Amino acid sequence: MKTTFDAQITAIVFDAEGAVFALGDGSVRFEDGAFSAAHDGAILCAVAHPSGEGVITGGDDGRLIWHRRADAGVLATSARGQWIDAVDASAESGLIAFSAGKTLTVLDAKDAGFRRDFQHERTVSGVAFEPKGRRIAASTYGGTALWFARIAEQKPTFLKWAGSHTAVTFSPDGAFVVTAMQDSQLHGWRLKDQKNMRMGGYPSKVRAFSFLSNGQLLATSGAQGAVLWPFVGANGPMGREATEIGFDEGSLVALVASQPKHGLLAAGLSDGRVWLADPAGQGLNFLKADRGAPITALAMSADARRVAWADEDGNAGVAEAG
Amino acid sequence: MTDKIPVTVLTGYLGAGKTTLLNRILTEDHGKRYAVIVNEFGEIGIDNDLVVGADEDVFEMNNGCVCCTVRGDLIRVVAGLMKRQRPGKPAFDAIIVETTGLADPGPVAQTFFVDEDVKARTQLDSVTALVDAKHVMARLDDSKEAREQVAFADRIILNKTDLVTEAELVEVEQRLRRLNPLAPITRAERANVPLDQVLGLGGFDLGRILDINPEFANPAHGEAGHVHDEHCGHDHHDHDHGHDHEGDDHAHDHAHHHGARGHAHEDDIKGISLSLDRPMDGTKFTAWLDRLLGEQGQNILRAKGIIDVSGEDRRLVFQAVHMILEGDLQREWGATERRWSRAVFIGRELDEAALKAGFEACAA
Repeated sequence: MKTTFDAQITAIVFDAEGAVFALGDGSVRFEDGAFSAAHDGAILCAVAHPSGEGVITGGDDGRLIWHRRADAGVLATSARGQWIDAVDASAESGLIAFSAGKTLTVLDAKDAGFRRDFQHERTVSGVAFEPKGRRIAASTYGGTALWFARIAEQKPTFLKWAGSHTAVTFSPDGAFVVTAMQDSQLHGWRLKDQKNMRMGGYPSKVRAFSFLSNGQLLATSGAQGAVLWPFVGANGPMGREATEIGFDEGSLVALVASQPKHGLLAAGLSDGRVWLADPAGQGLNFLKADRGAPITALAMSADARRVAWADEDGNAGVAEAG
Repeated sequence: MTDKIPVTVLTGYLGAGKTTLLNRILTEDHGKRYAVIVNEFGEIGIDNDLVVGADEDVFEMNNGCVCCTVRGDLIRVVAGLMKRQRPGKPAFDAIIVETTGLADPGPVAQTFFVDEDVKARTQLDSVTALVDAKHVMARLDDSKEAREQVAFADRIILNKTDLVTEAELVEVEQRLRRLNPLAPITRAERANVPLDQVLGLGGFDLGRILDINPEFANPAHGEAGHVHDEHCGHDHHDHDHGHDHEGDDHAHDHAHHHGARGHAHEDDIKGISLSLDRPMDGTKFTAWLDRLLGEQGQNILRAKGIIDVSGEDRRLVFQAVHMILEGDLQREWGATERRWSRAVFIGRELDEAALKAGFEACAA
């Protein structure tokens, strides 16, 4: 499938049925042609709903909306209409978390009355559930706050590291938290002892990171190839070297996508190409070999069989991986 | 790829008239679409435009540059604004950033030079400082931020001129000039300045550093680089009022210079103008400038210059914000043009004699 939209594609998500494109004009387009125009403004972030049906989007209109093929409904609004910058959801716990300004909010997909608001000293840049969906990491300036998702009154565990953290993720085994930083590096913490891990050497900011191969590898963008950090054993990447695949001097890997349980990695490049690779094997399989505008969104389906991409000119496509 | 979106920064302390000016920019019938980043949600917000609240989240970069502070909220908001971009069309015609009265303009400006994403999509156009003619003297006395905002600006709007006498205005203008000899001063009542004096100034654009006149920053009418500033040139060093002031009926009365406040003001910030009539050694000059910004960049708010390099037919132009330096060889010197080097450094506790000696030692 290939198509062109007249607005920027700001995120792509796979739900149980297929690819879903979230656009800068506030609309959501399903791969099968279904359309939902619910936001008054741009969609800033998107994630698959915990039920597997449809997508949850956060907008610059301060609304969090659940879009399904037949209808859409507002799940929550932010205080004073602040931009909703980040969202995550956990199929395991059925919880949804989003951030607006300094506030992290947790909702329960099955209980409309449940809402928790957690305050931070600085603006929250990213949110991520731990694999079981019971704790949430919120990245901010100066580190990452860890919250228990359901508890109303609590003091978070704050993982400190000087600098501006711009995104956060949990390792699939729940043992590590990793952030991307403003100054072109990653930072990690081993949770059991809060040991710091510095993962640097990037020529550019890291916009995307994703675990694959049962959590044994963390793939990132931000270099001429896709960077792979080993997360094997209790020490994770500590004392180990990263490897790089698909190195190409003429372009940067802008985005990566993968699934923790599968071994395939997709990369979208600054020159518009998209490739798929098995880090354990050889070579790159170009899903989009023609060059063009930079890739701005990339996603892989849960079964790792399909990859969806979009570029800055509004072109989008879904390719079969296998 | 679409063109970079110009960004205009408005500074000024509370009550200087920023909100009035913003409302004018947004309501005037210009057919443009603006995004306005305000420090909190105010009373503005017009149909076609977008007003975004930001929280002045200043932080230091971990890049080893001590004065490299940026505004994290701007990085985030600009990235969000760009999501409204449609293929082939810019998201907005311009972005306007309003700062709080206590804000240091440095981190705002540096954000547009330091962050790779912001830099790829936007171009810092200029910083405009609004000052209130009635209260500015007291603010400059008691507020470091007020002095920095004036010193940092590409243009100063002297607002509420109807509330003070001509003599007071002349005195205010002299002090503003000493703080910032580069920025033209525009007088205004209720922020009624033409929008082309606020937007599209190209204050950081090397290609628009056309002329710098050390004794008189805004060159006279008819000369290259003159900005049509209806009240140009009240610096008491300048008595060249032979040219026409369009629509300007004030008397050129220089008898007020020694009023009550008079020359008693010695601000910690001042602009230092340097010039040299002999060609310069390009390598020596570049090394001197690099060292100067490296050692004193924290104290240097802005710098601009045009240099006559020995053996080079083109003009070397540069501009700096703290330690961030941009320089380029620009157009060729004209056949009849006076070839000379001049530079202005605006900063805190600058040693004028040392700067002058260092500058002149770069002669070829």
